[in-house]
Amino acid sequence: MTVPPSTQLLDPEAILRLRELDPTGENKLLARVVNAFSNSVDRLLPELALARAAAVPDLTVIRNVTHTLKSSSASLGALALSARCTHIEAMARDGRLDGLPEQLDAMLHDIQQVRVALAALL
Amino acid sequence: MPPPGQALDDLQHPPRVLLVDDDEVNLLLTAAALRERGFDVTETNNGSQALDQLSSHAPDVVVLDALMPGLDGFETCSLLRATPGFESLPVLMLTGLDDEASINRAYQAGATDFFVKSSQWSLLEGRLRYLLRSSRTRQELERSKAKLARAQDLARMGSFEWRRGVAHGFQISAEGLRVFGRGPQDRLDFVGVMRMVPVDDRHVFLRVLRDVIARNSVLITDLPLTLPDGRQRVVHIEAEPEFNEQGAVNGYTGILQDVTDRRQAEDRIRQLAHFDALTGLPNRRQLIWRVERAIESARRGGHEVGLLLIDLDRFKVINDTLGHAAGDELLVEVGCRLRSCVRHSDQIMEGMLEGGMSNRSHRGLEAVGRLGGDEFVALLPEVTDERDAERVAQRVLDALREPIFVGGQECFVTASVGIALYPRDGQTMADLLRNSDVAMYAVKSQGRNASAVYSPQLAGHGKQKLELESALHKALERNEIVLHYQPKIDVRGARMVGAEALMRWQRGNTLVPPADFIPLAEETGLIVPLSEWALKEAARQAKLWSLQFGFSDSIAVNLPSRLFERTDLVEHIHQCVSAYGVPHRSIQLEITENNLMKDLQNVIPSLHRLNEVGVEISIDDFGTGYSSLAYLTTLPISEVKVDRTFVRDLGITPQSSAVVTAIIALARALGLRVIAEGVETLRQMEVLHRLGCSLMQGFLFSKPLPADELERWIAQTVLPRKAPWITQADASVDLARGQR
Repeated sequence: MTVPPSTQLLDPEAILRLRELDPTGENKLLARVVNAFSNSVDRLLPELALARAAAVPDLTVIRNVTHTLKSSSASLGALALSARCTHIEAMARDGRLDGLPEQLDAMLHDIQQVRVALAALL
Repeated sequence: MPPPGQALDDLQHPPRVLLVDDDEVNLLLTAAALRERGFDVTETNNGSQALDQLSSHAPDVVVLDALMPGLDGFETCSLLRATPGFESLPVLMLTGLDDEASINRAYQAGATDFFVKSSQWSLLEGRLRYLLRSSRTRQELERSKAKLARAQDLARMGSFEWRRGVAHGFQISAEGLRVFGRGPQDRLDFVGVMRMVPVDDRHVFLRVLRDVIARNSVLITDLPLTLPDGRQRVVHIEAEPEFNEQGAVNGYTGILQDVTDRRQAEDRIRQLAHFDALTGLPNRRQLIWRVERAIESARRGGHEVGLLLIDLDRFKVINDTLGHAAGDELLVEVGCRLRSCVRHSDQIMEGMLEGGMSNRSHRGLEAVGRLGGDEFVALLPEVTDERDAERVAQRVLDALREPIFVGGQECFVTASVGIALYPRDGQTMADLLRNSDVAMYAVKSQGRNASAVYSPQLAGHGKQKLELESALHKALERNEIVLHYQPKIDVRGARMVGAEALMRWQRGNTLVPPADFIPLAEETGLIVPLSEWALKEAARQAKLWSLQFGFSDSIAVNLPSRLFERTDLVEHIHQCVSAYGVPHRSIQLEITENNLMKDLQNVIPSLHRLNEVGVEISIDDFGTGYSSLAYLTTLPISEVKVDRTFVRDLGITPQSSAVVTAIIALARALGLRVIAEGVETLRQMEVLHRLGCSLMQGFLFSKPLPADELERWIAQTVLPRKAPWITQADASVDLARGQR
């Protein structure tokens, strides 16, 4: 599976829908969501690093981390990141190690870009 | 039930959602989306916390992420389902789009539904609302099922179904098992049910069942059975056929109900409605029913029906003297004896007479019943002729011959039996009853304790009597009753010393003799108003005569003993004499010796009071009764009247003059006046006078006359001293060197 090229890190429609949930902004929903994503990433990435560092990579952890990131990123409109997570989750589930480190590196890169883009929204 | 859309609005609160997701972002967003759509959301990011919160938050629905670290969604759901009270809480499992395995696992774990994660919140909302609605419907169903079960339990009702051609196709609900005395876990198949039914009823039921199934018709029947604990119950069963898509019957569903109590109540009601509560015999209604059936059957079969009306003789006397309780006791015993005189059957099979009634089954109608009071009826559904019925009547009379022991003493009871036969004596129950009544009355009038078969002649007689009775009722108000007066003569001075008033009925142009209506008046009670009228009329006449010719003697009025028993008799006489301003002694009362003796104890107080106010008492028909001489010495009486039978034989038989002599001697010793009745010849007058009796009454002097004729008689006969008896009387007075 190839990752579709994306010119936009965040899907504007998804962002629109997010804003609709808190139209006046009084609940500071967007900020809380971005914050939650940030927290989630901060919690997950060390787990992922540990799993990769093992002699035999822990595929279960990899799968769980990518599963969670898959849906979080989709919710925020980070469709490219979500798609990559989906891809990695499937590789981990199927035990395909081939190219996995590269994919994971690319994912980490994507995450950094998404975090920047999200920060820009606030 | 409200339409589906309304179901949610019926919730007392916004629907409560317990949202469980380890992904903070998703949790946050989903919660925000659902809150915006009116849900009350509790968020938690792991399974064990979710389980902890179940009780405190009492969610209406749980939304559960499938994949979570630690306790995942599947395990959480399984544990939730195992928690009492949450067996049917709707659980929506969130899965990924590409995760078919999760979907299957979700259902296995007991999830109600799954939902692929999406940021299309309205889809999630729609799914949740649908879940809540169906959950609510399900709850209502559960509640209604529970209510039904409770209601069925209370009504001792249950349901069952039978699937045709399926092994164990006969199923009884838990409530139904209870009806059969079994627990909810017990197995009870059709054979098991049949084993509880008595063999005869079982055969009948199975026949009915086969017939019902063959015709695909509805089964409605009552089944008697004996429960394992020995209780006898009646179970009502109703079942309807079930049809498959092709319209063929593939089984039956039905209800069953313990109707034992109702059946017993119905039996009791039927018993009360058709049987006499005192004797337990068929009552009037039941008798009418039986007689009508018997007549119907006789019409078809061309035979005769016998109806015996049995009336106890003088039952009233027993009731009055021994009390009603003893009277009832007596009726019970009589009922019992009468029953033994026929082939009495209490029970009649329902529907016995419809359709396939056998030739002889009308015999089952034979019975003795109680019409009411002391009247019984024996129905003989088939008799060869009247002799048949007479034989039964004789059995009845014989059965009563032995004394009946009630109220601490032996009672001798007799009956009068009237017989009427269908078709000869009547076509209907009413005709037969009326004519047997006529025959029964004929027996009564001829001395009772016998039976008689109806004949039209009897009816003619009865009819006359009925007409007479109704006319007599009106006679008083129409002024048809008059008093005639017969003078009392003292032959020593050949003068009138009083008069006896005698009632006459001027009915149109005919004068009805007293013998024809006085007994009837006594029987019907009309004698009371008649006598009261006579007292008043006599007082009026006494006043008239005192004005016309200085009458100062008394007019004697005959009274039946029942009038003496009335406590207001003295008061009534007082009113009569006061109304016309005559003294009390202008009225004299005559009571026959028999009447007096019959009710002596009840009459004596009246006699004393009457005597005190100056009303004299005369004993009529003296010498004919069985009076003891002892009472004569104590009674406040003034006069005895020698009965006409002794007077008639005077000078013919020596015994008569001996009796008259004795009466005169007795009266003289007691200081009583003696007057002789029925004096018709000079010879009788002469003998009486010679024996010492100078007061007389009879045709020799005058027959009873209307008041104005009596006045004429005095004016034309007595005063001119122009009658043979006056000459003779004068002569005998001379002879006796009399005083006046």
